[in-house]
Order: sequence, then structure tokens, then C-alpha cells
Amino acid sequence: MIAQLTKSERQLALVILLAITICGLAMGIAGRDDPLGVHGAIVILAGLAGIFGVIYAYYEPEPSEARLALYYDDPSKVGIILAMGWVLIGLFIGDWVAWQLVFPNLTFDAGWSSFGRIRPAHTSAVIFGFGGNALIATSFYVLQRTSRARLPDQLSPWFVLLGYNLFCIIAATGYLMGVTQSKEYAEPEWYADIWLVVVWVAYFIIYLRTLVRRKEPHIYVSNWYYMAFILVVAILHIVNNLAVPVSWGHAKSYSAFSGVQDAMTQWWYGHNAVAFFLTSGFLGMMYYYMPIRAGRPIFSYRLSIISFWGITFMYMWAGSHHLHYTALPQWVQTLGMTFSIMLLVPSWASAGNALLTLNGAWHKVRDDATLRFMMVAAVFYGLSTFEGSFMAIRSVNSLSHYTDWTVGHVHAGALGWVAMITFGSIYASVPWLWKRERMYSDRLVEWHFWLALSGTLVYVFAMWNSGIIQGLMWRTYTESGTLAYSFVDSVAAMRPYYIARAIGGLMFLSGAVIGCVNIWMTIRAAHQPADERLADRPVPRPAGVPAFQPGE
Amino acid sequence: MENDLTVWLSKSFGLFYLIAMSIGIVAYAYWPSNKKQFDDAAQSILGNEDRPWR
Amino acid sequence: MNIFRLHYRLERKTIGFLLAIVGVASIGGAVEIAPLFTIHQTVEDAPDMRVYTPLEIAGRNIYLREGCYACHSQMIRTLRDEVERYGPYSLAVESKYDHPMLWGSKRTGPDLARMGNKYSDEWHVAHMTDPRAVVPASVMPPYAYLGRATARIDDLGLHLKALRTVGVPYTDEMIANATADAYGQAAPDTPFAEGVTKRYGEATNVRSFDGKVGDPTELDALIAYLQILGKLTDAAHRPVAAAGE
Repeated sequence: MIAQLTKSERQLALVILLAITICGLAMGIAGRDDPLGVHGAIVILAGLAGIFGVIYAYYEPEPSEARLALYYDDPSKVGIILAMGWVLIGLFIGDWVAWQLVFPNLTFDAGWSSFGRIRPAHTSAVIFGFGGNALIATSFYVLQRTSRARLPDQLSPWFVLLGYNLFCIIAATGYLMGVTQSKEYAEPEWYADIWLVVVWVAYFIIYLRTLVRRKEPHIYVSNWYYMAFILVVAILHIVNNLAVPVSWGHAKSYSAFSGVQDAMTQWWYGHNAVAFFLTSGFLGMMYYYMPIRAGRPIFSYRLSIISFWGITFMYMWAGSHHLHYTALPQWVQTLGMTFSIMLLVPSWASAGNALLTLNGAWHKVRDDATLRFMMVAAVFYGLSTFEGSFMAIRSVNSLSHYTDWTVGHVHAGALGWVAMITFGSIYASVPWLWKRERMYSDRLVEWHFWLALSGTLVYVFAMWNSGIIQGLMWRTYTESGTLAYSFVDSVAAMRPYYIARAIGGLMFLSGAVIGCVNIWMTIRAAHQPADERLADRPVPRPAGVPAFQPGE
Repeated sequence: MENDLTVWLSKSFGLFYLIAMSIGIVAYAYWPSNKKQFDDAAQSILGNEDRPWR
Repeated sequence: MNIFRLHYRLERKTIGFLLAIVGVASIGGAVEIAPLFTIHQTVEDAPDMRVYTPLEIAGRNIYLREGCYACHSQMIRTLRDEVERYGPYSLAVESKYDHPMLWGSKRTGPDLARMGNKYSDEWHVAHMTDPRAVVPASVMPPYAYLGRATARIDDLGLHLKALRTVGVPYTDEMIANATADAYGQAAPDTPFAEGVTKRYGEATNVRSFDGKVGDPTELDALIAYLQILGKLTDAAHRPVAAAGE
């Protein structure tokens, strides 16, 4: 890693790391009687580890000029490994919280392990740890290939990747200590938020500097989606996290907004985190990896453009459907509902575009579990966007809101769409990145696929059942016109579904473990002959899955 | 500013903005001279991209 | 020269594209959120609305810290069954001092918007220590450790000051006495108790919430907060309560 940096980059790295360490020191001193101090210590450790690493390799020879004739893929490789690490953490915690709803004493009478603290650790680890790292890793890969330009330098990609992971670590450890803003999906406190802005600006600059050196005037559509992801997430993140810290020595801050304005800002953020973090970026992934894996161009490039602007425009209005029948003015609720329903058009255009791309390649979908991951992802994308529009209708929402149906819907999207497209893209890119002919074992990919699919289905069906039962029990009246069930009756009725959900989650987790083993064995596999290693995308032997040929 | 006014502005401006937006995008996507560019782009990722171009 | 011209063109195109994304994406939020900042003109005022006491703020921060919002909402919707189950539907004005709001999105447990005075302090102590001792079917985690931890109250003045910065009308006197008031609210027989009712009103709950003498515990603070939920104003109980529309 360090050996690939030029001398001046190594010096700059030292300066940056020193600055980080000093920030950590300041946090540690100012927040010595506060969780902020612990985070200061973590930042100092990260900074010192970096400094030690750079100094250790400081006098290694500089990289040769020949590197400029190749793409820079090492950050993508590390990003994929980190993503797989985070998915194990995130899924494990997720399954643990799921079992806590069956056996509530699984907290072992400690604070850090209670549901309210580890639930955000689960959501952040899977969304930001797994999803974010996968997006960064694949975006660097796709950006370089579609622009036919190398990343602008060797230092900034590492700054973005490792800096982002520092943010994730601060976030996750913070929740366990009770450091949270209590805004869903925006839980990290002010200092972590500021750090993320710094990292994000660097990420954006890499994108810009690479794009302006591209070969064709036209920017490939994947990059549109990745750029919308970077830009809009920045806007959302900054606005929703505006807050006043109690002091420089406190981790705690108070949101700049209150009550109804805060609710609207939060769900404008929350819903668009779904749109631009969990949809836009992953659509970028899909529009690159799926056509290549299928060996066919996108069915309609025009449609991908129209759906891009549709998604970018309409999602921003949809957030208020999280606040039906609340104290939010009704016209805002109606607007949110209307746009949520209209969103079905660009969403289904994207899903349909993806599935029609596979027309003529269905035999590959049958044989190739990697492509099947992507196909199922597109199906789940279509299903969950339909479900989302449906649940945004006010009368449906009156039943579904506050129930497990929402949880099921989120997981249909997160497991079925986000995770599946990511696993598909990772299985496609691991052999390309490490210059292997194929994954270590195709059978393990099959195992992962079927475990992931069945786990998702068990999960989603369990939550549909529990959610609808819950919603109905809450509004059931006796003949004499009184409420038929107490709240706790509905809690008791959930138990079988909570058990089923936890088992579904366990299946999904085991699939991910198998995936990690497979990726690890692929990386460890013996190198191939030198001439084959030169190809950017090594071509499997004819006996294997028939993939595209170069120049096809 | 009055609440009624801001609400009215939001409602009317939002609508016109939506219509103009959609027309603009569909026109861009179906503009005949853009066709070649889009077809090339769709094919471009399938080609051989072994190296940065310069 | 040629390459420079190409570069220039590419750059201009990229920047234009980025601006388009920002423009297209920002409008939706702006149109929906901006009018909400003038909403006070249409929401009925609640002149009787009081601010949270320092101890209640400390309790609220424990509620935040433990992530209670993940399972409990504080927003009763305008639906018949919710009003009958939980009480009058929530008004916008009721959470106007809530930074952040805790409307929530999931009810693994019941809504808490009208929790105040619904159960006794003793019930809360027993329930927090072991939820299943009180409600056998409950899936709530036990929070026994809150009763063992002393609440941090020495920095509450800073908290109130930060809240004033974001718009909560705390007076200088409230800020200066924050720590003493937090202590006094849970210690009715001490001289500190008097200041609490003087500054926050006669109706303020001043008592030992966890039933133990001495420095307020985290459980004291949390119960003080739970017992005030829905009680900051009685606007929602008035016959024609104007919701935001």
C-alpha cells in the first residue's frame, strides 16, 4: 500500500495522519470525562498506526512510471474485503437483535448489548459498513474503466476508503457507548458527521478529477448514478445533521431542528438515504456489472437516462409518506404520497430495463449463480419499489405504519436488492481484480445464492405476517365497540414470526460466511501464468461458465 | 413571509417544475442526434478496456 | 492545444451535469420543508407550554442514549383506534421543544406520547428493573443498571445553554441553576426543591422517582422524563385543537 505512493504522497500522508492524530489528542483531552475521550483514543490509535505504517515503508523504492499505464485497483480490493468484513459484523448483530425479541434477556444485563444500542450498530454496519464500502470499491473500479482513465493519484483513494472506515468504526463503537443523535440512519454525533463531510469531499474530488480525464465526452450512465449518490448524500447529510454540540468536550449535541420541522427533515433525509445511498449507487453497480456479466448491452440506454432523472427528481418529495396521519400538515403528506406512487414509473423502468437486458442470456442466468444474484436483485428491486409505493398510500399506511410490515419491506429491499446486487458484483469483480480465472468454487456461490434467497424469503414472509396481524389487532373492535386487544396481546402474538425471522436472518448470515470463505480462497489461490494476468478481465477457460470474449 | 403564500408557491412551482423537467428529459433522451452517442455508450463497457487511454 | 480544448469541454460538461443533479434533487426538499418554518402561523399556540426541567432533559438524554425510539413512538396519529388506545392525537406544538423529535417509526412497544402520570413511579421502577416481572409477555430489555448509575447532572447548564441556542426559551436563571434544580427535583425535602417549582411551575413533579434518597440516579431522570410525556401543555385535550393544516 505505502510502496505504491510516490515520495511526495508519502510525505503528504504523514502530514494528514499527524493532523488526524492531533485531532484525536484534542478530542481525548477535551472529552476526558465523556465518551468523546474514548473516540479520541480510537482516532489517535488509527493515526499512529498509519504513521507507523508509512514510516516503516518510507524508504522503499518509489513506484515506476509504468504504473500510469494501468488502472489503480488496490483500493477497490481492500474495499471489497472491508465490505465483506462489515457484512459479517452487521448480519451477526442483526441476527442477535432478532433473537433478542424472542429471548429478551440476551442482553446479559448490560447497557451496551441492549436492543436500542445494537440495533443502530446493525443498521449502520450493513448500510454504511457493507453498502458504503462496496459502493466506494466498485465506484473506483467502474469509474476508471468507463472513463478509461486511472485514478488521479495514489493517496486520495486510500484517504477516502480508510477515512470512511474510521467513520464507520466511530459510529458503531459510539452506539455501544450510547453516543447517538437518535435520528434513524443518521445516528453518529457531530464530530463523526464533520469527519464524514471531509472524507466525502475528497471522494467527490476524485470523481471529478478522473472524469475530466475521460476518453469520451459522454459519461457512462453508471457514473451518473454514482455521482448522484455522492452529491445528494452530501446534501442530505449536511442538512439533517445540523446540530449544536453541548461543548467541545461533549459527544452530545442538540439537533438544530425540533418537532415537526425536525420530523420532516429527518424523513426527507431518511427516505433519500434509501434513494441515493441504497438505490442510486447500487443501480450504478447494476448498470455496469450486469451487462458485462450477461455479455449484452443495456436493453435501453435511453430508458436508463429517463429513469435516472425520474429517480433523482421524484425521490426527494417522497419522504413525507413516513408521516401520514401525524401532526405534519396534510398537504405535505399528500404530496409525499403522490410522488411515492409516481416513483413506481422510474423504478419499474430500471427494474424492467435490467431484466430485459437478460433477454437472450437466460441460459447464463440458469448456469451462473453470479448473474442470478443480479437477476434476483432486479426482481426484488421491482417488488420492493412496488411495495413501497403501495405502503405510501395513506389508507394502506394507516395499517402498515409502526408495524413489522415496514421492517419486512426494508429487508426486502436491503437483503433482496442491495445485498444481492452487491454479492453479484463482488463475485464478478473478485476474479477480475485479483486476476484469477474464476471464483475458487462455483458451488459455494450456488450455496450462497440459495441460502441468501431462502433467508430473504423466510424473513420477508415472517414480517409480512407479523406486520399485518399487528396492524389488524391494534384496530380490531369488539361488538360493544371497545378495542379487542391490549397492546401486549399483539406483542405475544408476534413470537412465532420473530422466531421465523431470526432463522431467516441466520440463513442469510450463513450464506455471507460461505461467500467470505470463497472470496478468501480465491484470493489465496495460486497465481495464473503471467500473460493471462496482464488481461484486465481474465477470461475463464471454455469449460467453465461461458463469459464474454474481449472485443465482443 | 406568510404561510399561505409559501404553501401556494410550493404547490404551483412544484407542478410546473415537474412538467418542464419531464419534457426536457424525454426530449434529451429521444433527440435524434443523441442516438448514436447512447448506442455507443451502451456498447462501450463490453469492449476491451485493458488500459487507461493515456 | 487540441487536448486542452477537449479537456475544457469535458470539464464544462461534468460541472454542468453536477449542477443539474444538485438542482433537480434540492427542489423537492426545499418545497416541502421551507413552508414548515412558517407553520407557527397556522398552529394554535400553547401559552401554557412549559420547557423540560434539567432533570427531565437528563432523562430524555438517557431515552436517546438507550435508543428507545427504535421501539417506541411518541406520535399518536389521527385514527380512532389510536386515540382510544393512547389518548388525544399529538399536535405539532407538543414537540416544539424536542431537539430532536422522537416521533419514531416503529411500535415494538406501545406509543409513549401520553405516558405521563399513566403509571406510578413504583410501576416504572419495577418495570425498568425487570419488565417481565410486571408484564409477562414483554420483550423489552431489562434496564436494571439505570437504577445503579448516578445521573450526570454537573454539566446540565451547558445542555440548557445549547438548547437555548437552538431555540428553547431557557432563562439565564434556569441555566445558572440547572444542576441544583436537577438535584432538587428528585429530592423534595431539600432546600433545592423550592427553586424547581419556582422556575418551572407549581405543577412540576418534585419527588424521589426511584424511591431512594441521595443523588439522582439515571432511573430517577428517566422516570422524571416519562412522567412528563404529554404533560408539557394540555393543548391536545382542549375541545377544538387545531392540528397543523
